[in-house]
Amino acid sequence: MAGFLVVPQLITSAPLEPVMGVVQKIFYFHVPCAIMLFVATFVCAGGSIAYLFKGSEAGDRLAAAAGELGVLFGVCVLVSGPLWGRKAWGVYWQWDARLTTSLLLFLTLIAYLLARKYGGPGGRRLAAALGLFAAVNVPLVYKSVDIWRTIHPQTTVVRTLDPGMRPAFWASFTLIALVFGILLALRMRLEKARALLAELRLEAEDLLEAQRR
Amino acid sequence: MKKLSRLLKIISLAAIVLAAPAAALAQEFQKVDETKKLADNVPAVPFVGIAYGVIWLAVLVYVLAVARGLGRVNSELDELKRKLQSAEAARK
Repeated sequence: MAGFLVVPQLITSAPLEPVMGVVQKIFYFHVPCAIMLFVATFVCAGGSIAYLFKGSEAGDRLAAAAGELGVLFGVCVLVSGPLWGRKAWGVYWQWDARLTTSLLLFLTLIAYLLARKYGGPGGRRLAAALGLFAAVNVPLVYKSVDIWRTIHPQTTVVRTLDPGMRPAFWASFTLIALVFGILLALRMRLEKARALLAELRLEAEDLLEAQRR
Repeated sequence: MKKLSRLLKIISLAAIVLAAPAAALAQEFQKVDETKKLADNVPAVPFVGIAYGVIWLAVLVYVLAVARGLGRVNSELDELKRKLQSAEAARK
């Protein structure tokens, strides 16, 4: 809880960027959210691999939880980014390589959740394949700013960050990573409870069938 | 006279064809300047506030949705367990 008080204070007291000014402060939560979007996608792909190749139900539950978190952090990235862009570039959106590939990643994760929910009997396997496809897109999203000429800041920004800006960035990153971990554990618990409920329902049906006989 | 008139027509046509890209280019430069001017006039603080607010609001809404789902599933689980226990007791 202390993080919610300390991080805004650190962000406010961090030095101003000379070209963009105050709006650059969006960076302190936009970038950690983007990193969590990547982490969620990789976790979703890992769980999907375990489900596809080993039939692991726990892997499927992990993938489902991570897929949902990927969408959540995708929303955070795709809202904070255009707000930053509106001030820095004068427009909310540009069909720039980084922005377009990020949108594609977000849409793939939405497709993952839709396939799980409405895909019918083979939906979970189809969703797992989509989870793998989403993970393949992550390196492309990351390297897009180096491969193509884009208006989005380069990947060197974090590495070359001014020492005065580092505490705010890493504190914000730690807070958002902690929130991600807590949400993942909470969502996994829900998925586990749902699986148990489905199992008990089957057991109840069998018991009722036996009583009828 | 006819030759001169044709030559004038060709020259004017060439001038239009050559001037069109230049005009388009000039328009593009003008657009960039306007955009920059617009961007400079936009206050930054509300954008930072909205971005920060939306992120934490999205997280809060998600936490509430998961907590609600967990509560519902847990109550269904308790009810089903109770029903199963009573059904098994009746069978015995």
